[in-house]
Amino acid sequence: MNLPSPGLPDFDYVSADTSDEVVSLLLKYPNDARLFMGGTDIFLHMRDRLVTPKLLVDVKHLPGMTSIDFDPKSGLRLGAAATLNMIARHQAVVKYYSLLAEAIDAFGMYQLRNRATIGGNLCNASPCADTGPIALVYEASLLAIGPKGERTIPAAEFFLGPGKNALDEGEFLMRIDFPTPPKGCAGRYLKLGRNSAGDLALVSAAVMAYPDESVKSSYSFRLALASVAPTPIRVPAAEAILARDPLTDETIELAANEAEATSRPIDDIRASAHYRKAMVKALTRRGILEVRTMLEKEG
Amino acid sequence: MDEMKHTQKAPYPIGESIPRIDIHAKVTGEAKFTDDLPFGPGLLYGRVLRSPHPHALIKHINVSKALTMPGVRAVVTGADSDEHIGLYLKDRFIFCRERVRFVGDPVAGVVATSEAIADEACRLIDVEYEVLDPVLDPIRGIQPDAPLLHPDLGDYVVADFIQPKPGTNISNHFKVRKGDIEAAWPKCDVIVERSFRVPEVQHVPIETHIAIARVDQNGKITLWSSSQSPFAQRNLISEALGVSQSDIRVIAPYVGGGFGSKAGVSVEGMAVVMARKVPGHPVKMRLTREEEFFCSFVRQGLIAKTRVGATKDGKILAMKTEYYWDAGAYTEYGVNITRASGYSSTGPYNIPNVWADSYCVYTNHPVGGPMRGFGMPEIHWGIEQIMDIVADELGMDKVEFRLKNCLRSGDINVTGMKMHPIGLTECIQKASKAINWGTDEPASAPNKRRGKGLAIMWKAPAMPPNAGSSAWVRLNEDATVSLGIGGQEIGQGTFTVAAQMASAALGVPMDWIRISAPVDTQYSPYEWQTVASRLTWSMGNAIVKAAHNARKQILDIVAKYWDENPEDLDIKDGQVISYKTENSISIENIVVYGLPQPDGAGWQGGPIIGHGNFMPTYVTDLDNETGQGERAVVHYTTGCQAVDLEVNIETGHITILNIASAFDVGKAINPEQVRAQIEGGVGMGASTGILESLQFKDGIPQNISFMDYRIATAVDMPKKVESIIVEVPQDDGPWGARGVGEHPMVPTAPAIANALTAAVGVRILDLPLTPEKVFLALEQKAMTQGKGS
Amino acid sequence: MGTHRITLTVNRVQEVAEVPSNLTLLDFLRERLALTGTKNGCSTGECGACTVMMNGEPVNSCLVLAVEADGAEILTIEGLAHDGQLDTLQKAFIELTGTQCGFCAPGILISARALLNRNPHPSEAEIRDALRGHLCRCTGYVRIVESIQAAAKAGG
Repeated sequence: MNLPSPGLPDFDYVSADTSDEVVSLLLKYPNDARLFMGGTDIFLHMRDRLVTPKLLVDVKHLPGMTSIDFDPKSGLRLGAAATLNMIARHQAVVKYYSLLAEAIDAFGMYQLRNRATIGGNLCNASPCADTGPIALVYEASLLAIGPKGERTIPAAEFFLGPGKNALDEGEFLMRIDFPTPPKGCAGRYLKLGRNSAGDLALVSAAVMAYPDESVKSSYSFRLALASVAPTPIRVPAAEAILARDPLTDETIELAANEAEATSRPIDDIRASAHYRKAMVKALTRRGILEVRTMLEKEG
Repeated sequence: MDEMKHTQKAPYPIGESIPRIDIHAKVTGEAKFTDDLPFGPGLLYGRVLRSPHPHALIKHINVSKALTMPGVRAVVTGADSDEHIGLYLKDRFIFCRERVRFVGDPVAGVVATSEAIADEACRLIDVEYEVLDPVLDPIRGIQPDAPLLHPDLGDYVVADFIQPKPGTNISNHFKVRKGDIEAAWPKCDVIVERSFRVPEVQHVPIETHIAIARVDQNGKITLWSSSQSPFAQRNLISEALGVSQSDIRVIAPYVGGGFGSKAGVSVEGMAVVMARKVPGHPVKMRLTREEEFFCSFVRQGLIAKTRVGATKDGKILAMKTEYYWDAGAYTEYGVNITRASGYSSTGPYNIPNVWADSYCVYTNHPVGGPMRGFGMPEIHWGIEQIMDIVADELGMDKVEFRLKNCLRSGDINVTGMKMHPIGLTECIQKASKAINWGTDEPASAPNKRRGKGLAIMWKAPAMPPNAGSSAWVRLNEDATVSLGIGGQEIGQGTFTVAAQMASAALGVPMDWIRISAPVDTQYSPYEWQTVASRLTWSMGNAIVKAAHNARKQILDIVAKYWDENPEDLDIKDGQVISYKTENSISIENIVVYGLPQPDGAGWQGGPIIGHGNFMPTYVTDLDNETGQGERAVVHYTTGCQAVDLEVNIETGHITILNIASAFDVGKAINPEQVRAQIEGGVGMGASTGILESLQFKDGIPQNISFMDYRIATAVDMPKKVESIIVEVPQDDGPWGARGVGEHPMVPTAPAIANALTAAVGVRILDLPLTPEKVFLALEQKAMTQGKGS
Repeated sequence: MGTHRITLTVNRVQEVAEVPSNLTLLDFLRERLALTGTKNGCSTGECGACTVMMNGEPVNSCLVLAVEADGAEILTIEGLAHDGQLDTLQKAFIELTGTQCGFCAPGILISARALLNRNPHPSEAEIRDALRGHLCRCTGYVRIVESIQAAAKAGG
């Protein structure tokens, strides 16, 4: 067994001033340099010797890296190093992106969220990351900077597998853009841990919906799940059911069944795949029911 | 001792909720824990290489790469200490020789100038192992063809009340044979048999184990350690290393949580062996959180098979129990947990026919140690569930069933001991009433179900018959009182209660008492160990004696000075007063300088030191074959917990709405501190009941971090925790007091399990009651019912 | 391995130090400044014993590099009382037994102070939520919550 070291191994630290500096360091030391912002994951991995960087490049002081901007037309722009607490207490997030605030509230604990960043949580590409399903349902896009300049990656294409994201060598995440949410949108983030709060998700479900005259049920839904596949996933088949049929309990049951069928959880020490699957159904059903109530109140 | 009799009103501040005397230091950051002590630049650090195999022979160790690493000062292996160590059964080397017996077993230690270098150097040690078949389950362990962990078991030094079986993996077998069990079964109208499982859990003190050892040029050892047992550590290390007890000095600052894990010897022995290699240098050895989970002690696992028979009018006639303790690689305390569980195997019930076999079985798991409750939470998990099942079969109310069968004062218990006065029935009545027992109340949501359950318990201090305490009081010029004790403040509030007792027994204000801390075996009076919920009672008796001894000395001097009879004098609020002449004088100064005789004819008295000790003298042996004897233990503390909970049937999550506890503490010296112990026990009981288990795969622990070993946080706790104090005095306790530190976590898990059954009709026999397990049981029940219909 | 010169304020006192890259803020406080009130309970940001205030917000100092604290204002348990006065929270913890072994208390008091600073009248649920990053094995949290409630009532 690999016992973690008592402390952090040796490394050099540099706080980068410009994105060019970051990119050049990443290219110069492809195996030895790692970016860091909040440190809440990388320090653990370093103690575990899962990663052994010789150079930590602190990117949270780059211009714009911690900024939070909202514009009713273009939406929410989050610097990758914005901490989860900064985001959760931002007025625009509270008002327009309640699902994001709710997921942050479900994340870890308060003092950890003072360090943990949105960019870090997404880039780690953990299947159980709380902000993963949120980025999916809001259809966020991620702005990366690399040797070839900037590029935008849709959230749906960002997560490739456990710990694997779509950033190329030399690239790093600068910003996450959340488009303006659909009008009348309501949402719930339901997370199941082993204890009441603060645990990693055994299963979590993000349910978002808004009035949409273009679909038969008059409501468009977006559903995303965490911890039940190698990456956070959307559940298009369930979304299609909810768009097609009136929002009765039976429809909701069908959609929940579909979510369960779509999920591909694993057995591990935290939970069995069997339980996780059942919980996908339970959380999806409850999430949809609660969102239906919210929509009915609004309507 | 007359004024101590509980029939009289206890003097101030006995029974008063005095704020803790250690708390100012603890809320300002002033309180010094072991890791906070400064040792200067000469400090070196020790790290330990641990076995990656549950069971293997060490064929070869090569330390040369580690030794040549810059910063490394010494490397130790099993070759550096060849004596066995152990509390009741000396079955362990400080560093392994020839054989490793669990993942985490210490194989080698490195001393270096930094923790990082020592850790890195450990990774450079090459060890060649011959992997052996492991024993990963106690049932497997007792089979004749099981691999033997300790082929030399017959040669180990063992305490006389422990009975190892050489040639097997059984390190102790304790038996109870009471009445005629075979004759009793046919008379039973209801017989229930069940098998229960309890996993290994960990104590999880927030302060991990830490010790700093320094060996001087003459071989004298100083050990600073976070310890519940400074004197036992001194004694065990002395015996293991062949050093005189007085050449070992253990200094034990505040303990950041013990719960049993910091009793006995674990990391301390390694620190000493490493320090011997670098004389003059203190060597610090601190476990990481990950190591804490499996390298110190764990609570033993248990498989319990139990059969209970009762007549249709609800009287229990017979109980047969087999306990298979998953004791781990070495026993330290496990053999005595096995014994204690055997002699407590009926729970607090009056049962005429009893048969019990309690086996302590070596397995290739982490070392089983003592943990809050010393076997009682583990055995009550089964006892209190099977009693509910029997009551159900009889169609009897569970409170009524318990009141009908529970032990009362004067009853003869499982080992043939006549019960001292106990208030168990009062505990049952008060706890059940507090949750409105018998009233169905609605759940808070359509997806939730509500239920109520209860469990009762008993526990005796499990210790050698002659575990002793001592104390001294030293009066200072300003009449403050230095109180010397060897009991440790591990959070339970013992310093505060000790000061209250000294204050009351001496007759001085509470704030004149100063605890002489930290406990230092060089100066502090002997105390066996801070375990077994025994300090308030045992150390308390010693303190009272010491205070009375000092009091007598003071009164004698003043009586001479006043030419009065000491019988007519008393000390009140720091003044000596005469009931006869109404003379009074402050004890200030006279307790050091004495008093002058008339006409300049010299002085009387001198600096006052009072001393006292206590040791139970009445504990008798138990017969090896029947487990019967006159008085196996000093006393039992009893109690009851009642739980009102809700279950989310969609997820399996349990929410405790209310948990009411009633414990018979004899006399609450400090009622708020008693309640604080109850709340803490409830918290730990609920956490181990719902969340905790150390998970293994092929003997390798899988969840050695807080990420995956979840313990209850503030949001997981019961919504309401109610603590009820019952006081039926203990005849030989100070003002009638007996211990309560461990007891509140004993009945919590089975009370939750019983309430769970009441809520949703499923019965779970394996701890813990995780949401997943509850959900799967509900799913199973739905399937079975589906088939039935 | 490089070292860095940092200037920071700890408990209202300016400190200047040369620190290696891998020194955590926790070890800096404990080993360089002998501020041992802040405890190490897990080194993974799970137990909360190492919590200190950094620029007014609680953080797990085991997951912060000392070099990152350059320019920061740090408050530890040793600085919670000042001008000879205990903090309201400290008084409440003393009166209501807000701790037993005392090991988790320094971190909890810092988080509680931060909570009352941002929310002077928290509900019981808000208090419990603010404590979820703090593990206590002694108290069952009952008296910790009561102490914070009492401090809030006494004016924060």
